[in-house]
Amino acid sequence: MPLRPARVGRVGVIGHPVAKTAVVAKAVTPGPAPVAKTAVVAAAVTPGRGIGRRRI
Amino acid sequence: MSETSLDELGPVDYVVVEFPAGTSNFTGEMAKELLALVDAGTIRVVDILILTKNDDGSVDAMELSDIEELGELQALEAQLAELLAEDDVVHLAAAMDPGSTAGVLIYENVWAAPFAAAARRSGGQLIANGRIPIQAIIASIEADEARETEGD
Repeated sequence: MPLRPARVGRVGVIGHPVAKTAVVAKAVTPGPAPVAKTAVVAAAVTPGRGIGRRRI
Repeated sequence: MSETSLDELGPVDYVVVEFPAGTSNFTGEMAKELLALVDAGTIRVVDILILTKNDDGSVDAMELSDIEELGELQALEAQLAELLAEDDVVHLAAAMDPGSTAGVLIYENVWAAPFAAAARRSGGQLIANGRIPIQAIIASIEADEARETEGD
């Protein structure tokens, strides 16, 4: 790895190996693209849409 | 960095954008959009690395300055803080598939700094943060729809 000397021997900031999250792995799996549901998602994050939906 | 400037620092995030083998199609669009975010004061780019994971699992890292034709990114390259260390390269590359290339972007959320500083001055402390993937929202909606269908 031809990294600059300033990067070598220092303590890192990430701290642990990064895992490709399952949800991302699912998104890159061949099939209907998530963007096809843009309108549905947009509605879900629009104010007022969540009224009556929240259950805790 | 002084105490004052530290208090005004926005949260720093990273993204790793993977390009599986044979899928990259660099037209300059990503650089243009990144620079637009910087110019708008939305983010400040702290560090950038380009990683390649070979089929045997070994990882090569390239500095932005290693790219021959940087174009508009030239101005950005001069401002990088080189925050990432060698250990970070290994940790970030763990998410990559063999044969892929990835861009690693470390950025300060400049837009969030004033709000974060105000929260601290108000006595608040950040105890959790995160990102909700669009796919998770879709899954939630679909689960609701399925439940409603079952209830019919």
